[in-house]
Amino acid sequence: MTTHTGGCQCGAIRYATDMQPVGVHVCHCRMCQKAVGGPFAVICPVLKTHFRVTRGEMAYFHSSDVARRGYCRDCGTPLTFEYPHVEDLGLLVGTFDDPSQVAPEIQYGNESRVAWYHTLNSLPGDAPTYANDPAMLQRISGSNHQHPDHDTDHWTPHPGGQRQ
Amino acid sequence: MTERRMPEGPFSGGCQCGAVRFRALALRDNPHVCYCRMCQKATGNLFTALVGVYHENLTWTRGRPAEFMSSDLAARGFCANCGTSLYYRSNGGPHVSMSIGAFDEPHRIPLWYQLGMEGKHPSLMHLADIEEAGTTESAMAEDAATIRVSNHQHPDHDTATWMPALGALP
Repeated sequence: MTTHTGGCQCGAIRYATDMQPVGVHVCHCRMCQKAVGGPFAVICPVLKTHFRVTRGEMAYFHSSDVARRGYCRDCGTPLTFEYPHVEDLGLLVGTFDDPSQVAPEIQYGNESRVAWYHTLNSLPGDAPTYANDPAMLQRISGSNHQHPDHDTDHWTPHPGGQRQ
Repeated sequence: MTERRMPEGPFSGGCQCGAVRFRALALRDNPHVCYCRMCQKATGNLFTALVGVYHENLTWTRGRPAEFMSSDLAARGFCANCGTSLYYRSNGGPHVSMSIGAFDEPHRIPLWYQLGMEGKHPSLMHLADIEEAGTTESAMAEDAATIRVSNHQHPDHDTATWMPALGALP
C-alpha cells in the first residue's frame, strides 16, 4: 500500500512510501538552512525499508562524513536528509505530492533559528499567486514544467542547464 | 508604522558545498516568503524566502549556478554539485530573487510580506507553538561533535581557495 508519493520539481525523481512519517520536525540548523536555501527545513522520517524511489536516481551531497543529502541533479530540488547508518531517512516535506498531510511536531537546531520565525503568520499579504495579474498566471500555467502532484506513467522532464 | 529599512550591503553567500558563491552589493526592498506550489517544489520546503538583487548588483564570485526552467517564464538556480536552491528569476526581469538561507548572514535580512497564499499549508499556522528540542549541540551532542570535525559545508564567509566535497556520490 502506498501512503505518500512525491518527487522533485522536474519529475526526473519520484518516490513512494507506505508509512506515515514519524517525528516530523522543523530543523533550523545552519546546514539544513543551506541545503534548502531557506530559513529552515521540515524533515519527515520514514523507515528505509518502507521507502522506494520509483523513478530516476538521486544525487547525493555528503554534508559531513556522517550525513548525506539527496537532490535532483536536473532541477536541484532537495529531497532527503539521511544518516546512512540509521534505519530511517528524512524526506523534505515540500517534495510530497500533498505536504499538508505531514505536519511538524517538534523543532530542532534552535541555535540558528531566524529572528522572524514567530512573526511568519503575521506578515502582510493575503493574495494568491498573481491574483493581480491573471494573464501572467495563465502564461505560467500554460508552460508549467513542474511535474504534477501525482504519479505519471510517462514523463519527460524539461531539461535543466548550466547558466552561461 | 515604524520606518522599515533594508540592511546595507554588500552581502555574500553561496551553496552548501561552496562550489557556487555570490556577492550582492545591495538588496531590493522586497524580502518576502512565497508559499506557491512551485516554490515549495523548488526548495523541497513549505515556502521560499527570497530577496531581490538587481542584475547589476549581483556577481557570481565562484562557479556558476545550474538552472531549471520551471516554466517558460522563470528559472530556478541551484548548485549542480550539492543541490542548494539559490534563486528564482523571471525572464527579462530586473532582478534575481535570491534565497535568503543561501546568504552567509541570513539573520540580517528581514521579511516584509508573504505571497502565494493559495499554497500555504495549515501546519504553518501553528509554527510558533511547536515544541522546542533545544540546540543541535544539546539535542544530539555526540553526533554534533562528529559532524563538526567532518563538516563539508562552506563556511559563512568568502574564502580565497576552497575545494568543494564531491557531490553526486552514490
